[in-house]
Amino acid sequence: MLKEIWKHRAVYAAISPFYLLFGIFGLFPIGFSLYLAFHKWDGIGDMTYNGWGNFGYLVTDNEFWQAVGNTFAIWVYSTIPMLFFALMIAFLLYAPFVKMRTLWRVGFFLPNVTSIVAVAIIFGALFANNFGFLNYLLQLPGLPMIQWLNVPWGIQIAVSSMVVWRWTGYNAIIYLAGLQSIPHVLYEAAKIDGATGAQAFFRITIPMLRPVILFTVITSTIGGMQLFTEPQVLVGNDGGAGASGMTIVLYLYRESFINNYFGYGAAVGWGMFLIIALFSIVNWKLVQGKK
Amino acid sequence: MKTVRWLVLCLAFLTMFSGCSGPLSSESHSSESNLPNHKKITLTLWYWNRSIDDELLARAEKQFPDIKLNTQKIGGDFKAKLKTTLAARSGEPDIVALNDWMVELFPSADRFYDLRTLGADQFKDQYLEWKWNQGITPDGSMIAFPMDTGPTALFYRSDLFEQAGLPSDPEKVSATIRTWDDYMVAGKQLQQKLGSRSFLADNIVNVYNQMLAQNTDLYFKPDGSYIGNQSPHIRLGWQTAVAFHKKHLLANADGWTPEWNASVNNGKVASFIGAIWMKQVLTEAAPDTAGKWRVARAPGGDGNLGGSFISILKSSKHPKEAFEVLTWLQNPEHQLEAYQKIGLFPSTPGVYDDPAMETPEPFFGGQATGLIFAASARNVKSSYFGERYPVIHGIVTRRLANVAKQDADPDALWTETMDRIERELQR
Repeated sequence: MLKEIWKHRAVYAAISPFYLLFGIFGLFPIGFSLYLAFHKWDGIGDMTYNGWGNFGYLVTDNEFWQAVGNTFAIWVYSTIPMLFFALMIAFLLYAPFVKMRTLWRVGFFLPNVTSIVAVAIIFGALFANNFGFLNYLLQLPGLPMIQWLNVPWGIQIAVSSMVVWRWTGYNAIIYLAGLQSIPHVLYEAAKIDGATGAQAFFRITIPMLRPVILFTVITSTIGGMQLFTEPQVLVGNDGGAGASGMTIVLYLYRESFINNYFGYGAAVGWGMFLIIALFSIVNWKLVQGKK
Repeated sequence: MKTVRWLVLCLAFLTMFSGCSGPLSSESHSSESNLPNHKKITLTLWYWNRSIDDELLARAEKQFPDIKLNTQKIGGDFKAKLKTTLAARSGEPDIVALNDWMVELFPSADRFYDLRTLGADQFKDQYLEWKWNQGITPDGSMIAFPMDTGPTALFYRSDLFEQAGLPSDPEKVSATIRTWDDYMVAGKQLQQKLGSRSFLADNIVNVYNQMLAQNTDLYFKPDGSYIGNQSPHIRLGWQTAVAFHKKHLLANADGWTPEWNASVNNGKVASFIGAIWMKQVLTEAAPDTAGKWRVARAPGGDGNLGGSFISILKSSKHPKEAFEVLTWLQNPEHQLEAYQKIGLFPSTPGVYDDPAMETPEPFFGGQATGLIFAASARNVKSSYFGERYPVIHGIVTRRLANVAKQDADPDALWTETMDRIERELQR
């Protein structure tokens, strides 16, 4: 084995930069955060061993579980409409009557490369409680204003809408690639058999797209569980009124970098890892299991 | 053939790592070219925009010909960057500016020079006593030297006060609205006359913060013991803030948001208590109301909110020189200059009688607000914060905000807050 490696040392050396960089910037922080999770550390002084203390505190920490609940709520509010719109957009982009497809594709993808901070500031102006654009629109026909950023669902909708705006086009492009890989003959055969457009969509398109849908569900699960910048810029480090915009990563950030509980922050990170893993498995089973 | 392959690989690595060695080699170059001045020592100073006057820093080089002052204006999250550097134990500056969060650094006091060992005591009587004491840890080591302070006062709209039939002249306002109760009564009158067009104060958290800024017994005693659950001042602050909400005296405009800016600009907020640095915030947020604002003494007493400090890190090789630079930068004369140029309020009461304090300010209708803040600064009581103040204070204010925003039951929330703090202290 070692002899084999030595024999191909030039090749191994050639691919080593990735592993070296991964070791330094990927593996080491992971290992260190695990070490940190069992210690108390204020970020400057000495670390003291704390055993399972941080994890014990974690499971009984209401604020952490509230953050978990918020994250799931925001994930539901954002992912379901996002994937639905993405599928619709992809279907339209694929339709033969659409002209200037490249322009549309670029247009739908553009939000994904916009700075989140800038987006959050704009959305903050849209959802502002008293002088926001949405409330201005509501007032025009005489409807009552909504204190968007004071009620839990308002904050969560505001954050979700930012996620939808940013990621719909991205998922649409992925779906489009999936659509293009479905053989045309299937649709032609269906047409000959007298299938309607809707039947073709539900019996051919959706089943053939299942692996692609699975992929988008898993990636948006991971992305949704790691939500941070949107709520942080929109409602601040405390998650806004009633901490309704407090997501798991925002909580991790606040505990570590604002409150200086770095060990506890690391424990939150590992708790989040477990939750993402479990939730991804559940999603995978759900999407896969419909066979 | 093999050697060629290795050569190529080695070359590839060299180019990869040359990026890392680049700046190092250029630095050694520059120090070589400076050989004639090799006696010059270099001091690194970290500060953030507008914490120290840039011109003054430029002048420091001339003042100290033997010192090369390497000033670095650190942008973004200053505190996080300083803490990362402290944790890494390398690349630390010699001199560092600190904001009022410096209490969090008390457990790491050994990373800073005790400024009294460098001779700080000889300057003590030039500075406000309460400000001076804030930089001293309970163990008695002075890790932070006073920079500017944040005396508080009442900012109010004279035109709206007039419309509500309240006194509008700063002297009369100072004389009639003396307590928090007076202030609430004034708010009721404002509400009757102006309806929901204007509210007395901006938000519930600010009421609470200002109350604490005026009082002494906060969450901790200097021996580290927690007193928040029995401190009358904490309880009173909570109750007063809740009363403001219940009487509908608040515009519910959170600080540092576009909402707040809009509210002060369009008259929804008729007054608020704030530290002197709010002058600049207000001037920028409410250009349409220029000339209508005035400043009076704060109801409930004088207080302080914010202000900054400056320290020397233990890693510094030239603490003596650093201390000379630091005391020169913050001497009374230069503090006064910084006040005139960028509005940093001096912590050196000797300059409060300077004519510069009496400069009329057009935004405040020609009032010389400096006099009000000077009087306030002299009166601030010494209070102890403790290194966990920011965390505990955050727990209370978050819940208080829910009282105003979501109409949560204040009594149940008070109990919950006290329980939450107990839990926090145990970890």
